[in-house]
Amino acid sequence: MGRYLSIFLTFARACLVRDMTFRANFLLECITSLGWMSMNLAFYSLVFQFTPEIGKGTGWTREPFFAFVATGLIINSIVQALFMPSAEELTEMVRTGGLDAVLVQPLDAQFLLSMHRVDFSSFANGLVGCGLLGWALARMEHAPSTAAWLLYPLLILCGVAILYSLVIMLAAATILLGRNQSLYDFWFYITNFSRYPAEIYAGPWGGPLRALCTFVIPILLVVNVPARVIAQPLEDGAWGLVALAVVAAVAALVISRLVFQTALARYRSASS
Amino acid sequence: MSGQPMTVAERLGPLAELATRLRIWWTMLAICLEERLAYRGDFILGTAMRFLPIVTQVFLWTAVFTATTRGDIAGYSRTDIVAYYLLTMVTRAFSSMPGLAGGIARSIRDGSIKKYLVQPVDYVSFLLAARIAHKLVYYAVAIIPFTAVFFVCRGYFPPVPDAATITAFTLSLVLSFLLGFFMEAMLGMLGFWFLEVSSIIFAYMLVQYLLSGHMFPLDMLAGVSTGIAGVSVADAVRWLPFEYTAYFPAAVWLGKIRGPDLVRSLAIEAAWVVVMAAACRLAWWRGTCRYSAFGG
Amino acid sequence: MHNSSGANTGRVIEVESLAKAYRVFDKPEGLVASVKSLFHRPSRLVEALKGVSLTVGRGEFVALLGPNGAGKTTFLKLLSGIVTPTRGTARVLGHVPWERADDFRRRFALVMGQRNQLWWDLPAAESFRLHQEIYRIEPARFARTRDELVDLLGVGRLVLQPVRDLSLGERMKLELVAALLHEPEVLFLDEPTIGLDVVAQHTIHEFLRHVQAERRTTVMLTTHYMKDVAALCERVVVITHGDVLYDGSLAQIVDRFTTHKIVTLDLDEPPEPGRVERFGFPCEIRGPQVVLRIDRGRIADVLPEILRTAGVRDVSVEDVPLEEIVAGLFRAAPAPAERAVGAGA
Repeated sequence: MGRYLSIFLTFARACLVRDMTFRANFLLECITSLGWMSMNLAFYSLVFQFTPEIGKGTGWTREPFFAFVATGLIINSIVQALFMPSAEELTEMVRTGGLDAVLVQPLDAQFLLSMHRVDFSSFANGLVGCGLLGWALARMEHAPSTAAWLLYPLLILCGVAILYSLVIMLAAATILLGRNQSLYDFWFYITNFSRYPAEIYAGPWGGPLRALCTFVIPILLVVNVPARVIAQPLEDGAWGLVALAVVAAVAALVISRLVFQTALARYRSASS
Repeated sequence: MSGQPMTVAERLGPLAELATRLRIWWTMLAICLEERLAYRGDFILGTAMRFLPIVTQVFLWTAVFTATTRGDIAGYSRTDIVAYYLLTMVTRAFSSMPGLAGGIARSIRDGSIKKYLVQPVDYVSFLLAARIAHKLVYYAVAIIPFTAVFFVCRGYFPPVPDAATITAFTLSLVLSFLLGFFMEAMLGMLGFWFLEVSSIIFAYMLVQYLLSGHMFPLDMLAGVSTGIAGVSVADAVRWLPFEYTAYFPAAVWLGKIRGPDLVRSLAIEAAWVVVMAAACRLAWWRGTCRYSAFGG
Repeated sequence: MHNSSGANTGRVIEVESLAKAYRVFDKPEGLVASVKSLFHRPSRLVEALKGVSLTVGRGEFVALLGPNGAGKTTFLKLLSGIVTPTRGTARVLGHVPWERADDFRRRFALVMGQRNQLWWDLPAAESFRLHQEIYRIEPARFARTRDELVDLLGVGRLVLQPVRDLSLGERMKLELVAALLHEPEVLFLDEPTIGLDVVAQHTIHEFLRHVQAERRTTVMLTTHYMKDVAALCERVVVITHGDVLYDGSLAQIVDRFTTHKIVTLDLDEPPEPGRVERFGFPCEIRGPQVVLRIDRGRIADVLPEILRTAGVRDVSVEDVPLEEIVAGLFRAAPAPAERAVGAGA
């Protein structure tokens, strides 16, 4: 275990050194992600000019909603920084045969393929998210309980775990199918559902969609559960959700690993 | 030409040239189509999936409407909003030019643009023809999912507008294609002067994202003041080219812009197309002069 | 059941009827075909390897020779566990390679020419350190091995530079160092000298010979350069179209596969037409120099006759060059067995 941590730190250090060498580029990437984020925040502010709440009686008024957005920023930035860069490189690796080199090393392939690259500029969004969270909590009437504060980091980890499992499933598909431009679009389209509180999915179409995205592909548990815990009073229903999030995270990790191992067993390798 | 009568070939000269051009263009079309079909899994899935973000937006706005006391938001009812987003998808199918600016910048950077300086081919026209081919292929393929979605969502649309509105709508779409093309081509050509155009392109995309109406109907900015008395952001944005790449045609179809306002906006759109086309030509001319001066 | 001490039996690599087939989809040509391909994609089953059996003992140095697409790289990939076979069995150091046991992976190394395994962003020294962690090499031993290898290849001044800044030859040498840091018992090399200049090739040959002799590493190398083979190995396995065509010593290839020798004559003056044909088959006539192919069985008779003939200033007798023999082998092999399968999309 310690060995894996030490190896990961070596990778991370190398990436940091590289980012600092190309400082201008690094700053540009930070600004890029912050730019997109600001646009979205401006949009949300605009929406709240027209309505006091997102969905009647859901509790997502302005400040809680921004706490929700902040939670999303934190979780997504962790995934974008730690796992996405390596996953994106996987296509290249499969194409050039770099994956072969990984398979002969006495180290877990899933670890290597999902964590050998770190994109530090993606943390920028997460930092802003923390700031936004602080701002929102300060202005909210409701203050989170101690239990909420303790649960929040755990639930963030669960959200990260679920998204990580999704990354691994996409990686497995890459290994099996080879090229995959639309698979990364896939990522965007799936995670797009988790951008807003689950309550918006209501009605004859929304209900089933919400169930699908909670129980089958638990994308709605990623941001919703920690955000709800920190921004809304903890009633009885919330504990059920917390348990569900933890179970989903564990199940997702296990299932995605199985799928990934299967993909590796069937690996075709680029032609010589 | 020493006073002899023209041969048949010479008489047909310009026609033959046109025929050659058409033939080249047809080949381009065929290749585009093949390319698309090669990624068969991708395109069927990909085209359908483009609608997914709309689904989320629709649910969001529905939720917004349930909690608001107003009947409409900036003149858009609950059903109007859905229709609006679907229509912006149509506009963006015309005006979005993926890879155009970046592609031009890249070919300037790696020198592959040189062959266009040497050949008797007008680069801009060539790119335009290629884009038209691409778009036609895209429409041929995307018509199926688009029709399916529009049919399923027909309840959200107001009754079909009159002929004049439809004409205006079609005109605005064609203009939005040209506008999108010339704007992005211009951006790409900035690569003659700036090494890292990607930052400029990024800034453009950012502004476009906000001000084109892609995210929300620009009428919502009517309540936001620019700081100048009586001028809202919505008013100011009308004079900029951005809204014509997503918002304008959609608003036209939904009848949000009528009469003299409509005519004026069409004129502004057309004017921007002319301006951008001219800027493009100028940039090409000045850029290539500069490029050859410095060598590749 | 793994017999991890393969050294005891002396047989390090045991392969029995190993076969690998791939399904390959044909790319449609033209517009009509592209549209059709939406509904039905014709595919073929390509047999990269058709059933190869061989055994390699400890300390042997084996060359896998064959034209492109023969299956040599596929064979190495099977033995290093990168892909799983369609049929057949194999054991390397007592392990089944495609089970990818960590114990197995710690005991061998794979180096692929033109495809680097070092981490691009790191300087080689960092890559080595990473290697030490991954392979759990004890620090003192690691330092000793590393220094020795770096010295042997003369790459000391390169280890601190980022790998991507180095030339192909320099990178290859560093790859070799990295591969041997954990003192593997088996070394697989896939076209290690491809794209390298003569000096680099020579250095690497020397290095491999030294290392193999000193540590009794079992080495299996694929190449299509005869130079590699001639410099390094006694045992050659010729693979064409997925089958083993020949497995034996290099010296014997000449005996087995050639029927004639090359005799070069230096004459006083260019020969009259028809004059040299009675000795053998003339391949080249360059002025006063004639190159003949003479059947081996006849050499003993023909040669004295040639020497007695007036006007012959010099004679030299050589074997057919190895390249030619091997090329001939490649050409003579039967056509690949591909079954066109009109399977559904």
